[in-house]
Amino acid sequence: MTKSSPKIGVYGFTGCAGDQLMILNCEDQIVDLFGATEIRSFVMAKSDNHEGELDVALVEGSISTEEQLKHLKEIRERSKILIAIGTCACWGGPQAMKLGDGKYEDRYKKVYGNAKITISKAFEAQPLDAFVKVDMKIPGCPIDKQEFLKSVSKLVAGKHPYLLKSPVCLECKWKENRCILLDGKFCAGPLTKGGCGAVCPSHNLPCVGCWGPTDDLNVSAEYNLLKEKGYDPEEIITKIRKFGGSGVVELVKDLEKKGAKK
Amino acid sequence: MKELNVPALARVEGDGGITVTLDGKKVKSVTLDVHEGPRLIEQLVRGMKPEDDVNVVPRICAICTLSHKFAAIRGMEKALDITPPEKADLTRELMMLGENIESNSLHTMLLALPDFLGYPSAVAMLNDYTDDVKRALKLKKFGNHIMEVTSGRIVHGENPIIGGFGKYPGKKALEEIKAKSHEMIPDAARVVELFASLEIPKYADVDSDKVFMSVSAPKKKFHLYGDEILVSNGKDFPADDYKKFTNERVVPHSFAKRSKYNDKTFMVGANARLINMGKRLDGHAADLFKEHFDKRWLRNPLYNNLAQAIEIVWAMESLPDACDKVASMDDPPTEQPMRKTGSGTGAVEAPRGTLYHHYELKDGLVDVADIITPTAQNLDDIEMHMKLAAERMLAEGKKDDEVRLGLEMIARAYDPCISCATHLVTLKRF
Repeated sequence: MTKSSPKIGVYGFTGCAGDQLMILNCEDQIVDLFGATEIRSFVMAKSDNHEGELDVALVEGSISTEEQLKHLKEIRERSKILIAIGTCACWGGPQAMKLGDGKYEDRYKKVYGNAKITISKAFEAQPLDAFVKVDMKIPGCPIDKQEFLKSVSKLVAGKHPYLLKSPVCLECKWKENRCILLDGKFCAGPLTKGGCGAVCPSHNLPCVGCWGPTDDLNVSAEYNLLKEKGYDPEEIITKIRKFGGSGVVELVKDLEKKGAKK
Repeated sequence: MKELNVPALARVEGDGGITVTLDGKKVKSVTLDVHEGPRLIEQLVRGMKPEDDVNVVPRICAICTLSHKFAAIRGMEKALDITPPEKADLTRELMMLGENIESNSLHTMLLALPDFLGYPSAVAMLNDYTDDVKRALKLKKFGNHIMEVTSGRIVHGENPIIGGFGKYPGKKALEEIKAKSHEMIPDAARVVELFASLEIPKYADVDSDKVFMSVSAPKKKFHLYGDEILVSNGKDFPADDYKKFTNERVVPHSFAKRSKYNDKTFMVGANARLINMGKRLDGHAADLFKEHFDKRWLRNPLYNNLAQAIEIVWAMESLPDACDKVASMDDPPTEQPMRKTGSGTGAVEAPRGTLYHHYELKDGLVDVADIITPTAQNLDDIEMHMKLAAERMLAEGKKDDEVRLGLEMIARAYDPCISCATHLVTLKRF
């Protein structure tokens, strides 16, 4: 290990640990990855962790307790670059599908009753950028191996990573799949960040939107199209919000202002 | 009072710690603290259509993703009165074999083994145990490959759906898996050999009437799903009655809920499956089970690692037949729901133990969702073991670091999945 190896920390908050698992799933590259970088902290993978200055912090998961918030701020302070990995870190994930509906306390009580949990105070899950500056988002549920490895290789070489900017539809066209929307079925492809290889439409299944919102998404066009096809407005909104988290909250509010759900 | 901490339990999935609180020389308590934040998934899926629920719930855990998918689909199919086509059943069996190989090889070789050999991680073992680390990665990759072929993706594949599959795996991919499984049986057997050669530390003596629970797989097979639950004391009951023993309760130090059976802690996982269904094994896995199973398994959770290793051999040996059967059948159409209102419980063996998804549907929407994860069932048992172990180690005058390592090894032996449980050592000396 040379002195110039970038110092990396991998952290996980509220989520499924799938993005950290995808790093471990790079079976053919993981040994090189640990060799080319200095992995200072990766609690899921090793015991000898050192918390200090980092060149890059890779952070998975949403923030849903006071304890996590404190830890995230502390990681931010000692990291040159902080990258959100995965849908939960980028947008809040499925646990943020009802973000801002004002009913979080009710849901919490239904699960835990009035029992006192002293370990930390919990709140509705939100993505990292609700609390700290995030330098880059690598989306995915989970992240894609290749996109992750390419991004880290670029960072190690001191270059800026490039991520696919188009929605799932572009990759779906490349694969020459028949458009699922043409059959009148809900497909979140037009709203969803690409990079997964349009895996669900390639299995004759609609995109569920798990990579989170794409850039410049047109929610009302999708909404109107599906309404025309006879979909129940409430169901359309549930499906848009399923993995959209903070990325669709305002867009859905706009839709509702324009009379959606009626 | 003094406290001994393991603030962040390494090499497990999710965010947990262990706290041991001591009053003088007496161990006051040992707790497995679950810091992982709550997600309230069961509440969030209320009002959703079944198809949306089965997209969301596997996100509870990446390592058990297909177990969650399968348990949810099973629960939903019962609630909707759907009998899945035979080819769907067989393809689901195949995907579960993949997840079992992947997760068991990750846990045994890459997460647990470093403890036994005195390394901080598997990567740190690379120079001294090059072949074994590479073998572990190879096994894990093969498991992932099977998951990808069947579910569409390594993690969170959407291909398994209610009533069948989006697209059944192709014959060529199945042929390749079959061919590779033959090649890899010696690799799987090596994992057993390795764990059988280790000196398994015994940290505690537990009651001899401790029980282990698992499903009873259909047709008296050894497999990873079933509608009947076996208890190692000889009792059995329908999976629908799961609430009778998973009477969940909330504790202050954790966002995970807890379970007990007859007021006693119990264990689920690979050792429970082998204790309850080991006699159903055949082939080399049966020989290995006969050779290595003994009474120590019943009193020491650390034998779970060896049980997981034997399961890898079982899964590997099951692959050729599973691939042949799936390949021999035509693709059936997806089965459609027969009703919109009803309830159902899906029980599945995740790599770390029995997982239940129970749903009550009303007019085609989720009214109630109840998900009981294996780690939530094991938490009380882990704490019970750790307390006995801490008492013994402190009585023997062990140093704090040794106590910490011992407790971490116990916790890790259960292969806890803290993300799943949400909803680990601090030693406090008073």
